[in-house]
Amino acid sequence: MEKADSKSRILVEMKQVTKAYASRKKLFTRSSPQVLALNSIDLSIAKGEVFGLVGQSGSGKTTTGRLLVKLESPTAGEIFFNKTPISQLKGPGLKTYRSRVQMIFQDPYQSLNPHLSIAETVLEPLIVQKIGTPDTRTEKVVHTLDTVGLSPGEAFFNRYPHQLSGGQRQRVAIARAIVLEPQFIVADEPTSMLDATIAIQLFQLLEQIKETFGMTFLFITHNLAAARYMCDRIAVIHDGHIVEVNTADNIIRHPEHPYTKQLIKVQPGFKYTR
Amino acid sequence: MSLLSVDHLSIGYQTKNGMLKAVDNIHFDLEKGQSLGFVGESGCGKTTIGMALMGLLPENAVILDGHIRFQGDDLISLTETQWQTVRGAKIAMIFQAAMNALNPVMPVDEQIKEAIITHQPDISKTDLADRMKELFDLVDIPARRMKDYPHEYSGGMKQRAIIAMALACDPALIIADEPTTALDVIVQDQILREIKKVQEATRTGLVFISHDIAVVASVCERICVMYAGQIVETGTRKEVFKSPRHPYTRTLLNSYLSLDNLNDIRVPDMKESPDQTVDTDECRFAGSCAYARGCAGRSPDWIDISPTHKAFCCNPDVIRRGHGKS
Repeated sequence: MEKADSKSRILVEMKQVTKAYASRKKLFTRSSPQVLALNSIDLSIAKGEVFGLVGQSGSGKTTTGRLLVKLESPTAGEIFFNKTPISQLKGPGLKTYRSRVQMIFQDPYQSLNPHLSIAETVLEPLIVQKIGTPDTRTEKVVHTLDTVGLSPGEAFFNRYPHQLSGGQRQRVAIARAIVLEPQFIVADEPTSMLDATIAIQLFQLLEQIKETFGMTFLFITHNLAAARYMCDRIAVIHDGHIVEVNTADNIIRHPEHPYTKQLIKVQPGFKYTR
Repeated sequence: MSLLSVDHLSIGYQTKNGMLKAVDNIHFDLEKGQSLGFVGESGCGKTTIGMALMGLLPENAVILDGHIRFQGDDLISLTETQWQTVRGAKIAMIFQAAMNALNPVMPVDEQIKEAIITHQPDISKTDLADRMKELFDLVDIPARRMKDYPHEYSGGMKQRAIIAMALACDPALIIADEPTTALDVIVQDQILREIKKVQEATRTGLVFISHDIAVVASVCERICVMYAGQIVETGTRKEVFKSPRHPYTRTLLNSYLSLDNLNDIRVPDMKESPDQTVDTDECRFAGSCAYARGCAGRSPDWIDISPTHKAFCCNPDVIRRGHGKS
């Protein structure tokens, strides 16, 4: 791990980040009990790396993603992006940060606004960030749709999310995330709702995007096999703690933590048939 | 006599674009205590089969052809009143969304008791209590949690409660439609073991539906692979997974990420699935098939590989030439 870090520049770093959520207040008690979603985690992601975060539901993996795109703020600790702490970002600084960091959500049926056409969906980030002129924006949208495999892009312009399949919707969500050419993308279980044949094509697309734009990815999943296929390094998260970080191959071949071993054991495969 | 025998079953949905054939000429048999898995991607018709077996097809569905015989009776001709004596008592279902399948304002044990009392109104209080204890034991929920409300259960426990409910009346056939899809891998593993254990203990017939081939492989002895409303390959678990023959099965296995096949992964060139409102005898998979050679205009046929293993294809050479996960 140290080797990978020292060789390449660190893009994202989490230092002792803790996130606590207040659970429901009980009558007559003064302080509300807290649920620690993340318990002092340290993480660093190198530039150009695909970093996997693997854990079961409730382990804190989605919270990590939401903190990194600053949809939420940590209770303690600091997150650095290009060595700059992001907790103090406000106004224009935060807006710039949002153009550099984007997220792809799990459920393509819920993450797209049903009232916006595909063109409007992908155009919106450009308008918000005031990039280009109306003409160049349209061109950019067509080009981006082509990149994500929705080609010809023009044919999808006036279509709405309900007219697309799950795989196509997720491609729109990817187009929306990459249209600003961000440096860092958080992909939270991007294929867990999709069939295997569709999922593998999306993985291929994300890989192409990484090659083309040199983006850095945080890939959040509960599927170790998918993480191994996609990622350079994998961190295993359990109950708000990162229990193990290693290269993707090593974590599967030589797991050290008992929890990682359990995850590998329960991973569906064809072991029953062998 | 088979427990369940489905013969030339075709089911269509009335849509504004015409009749959409969701299930096209399907046949299979299931004996007592056996498990049969249906695998295929969304829209391939697997859930429609499950719903037809439960008599729960939506209103715009039409059974176009065929028979479903269960313990010798034809289920298709049953009236709704007759269905009520079958559904839950003889054929039960484990639903997909455990989170939503329980009534949130009723303790879990009451909901399961309700299922028993509906079918056995004369059951004595002690018999009912014994049965409840037996059921909770069977699915490994501690008896002290019986009276809890669903929100006090974890996702895995809810799914166990749903399994207990399905078993309540000791059915001869259980249909499980994506029972672990909403669960994470660790809980999924527990629930799959649970279903398998319970099925073996009670000698119930099991129809297991999932889009996840590895999940089907872990539970079922026999597998049917479906594509666009048709069964394209059927065989024992070992035959289908060790020696897949139909090009679609190969595509599916080649694109499935598991920890032991990473090097065999191939990204398929899948075209959009065919328009099922068009009635045709031609191969539905030809457009995406890597092996298609002059298949256009020809009708596929069943090709036997072994007494239990067969595939539905135009091209006997492709089917007979098995080379594992090609």
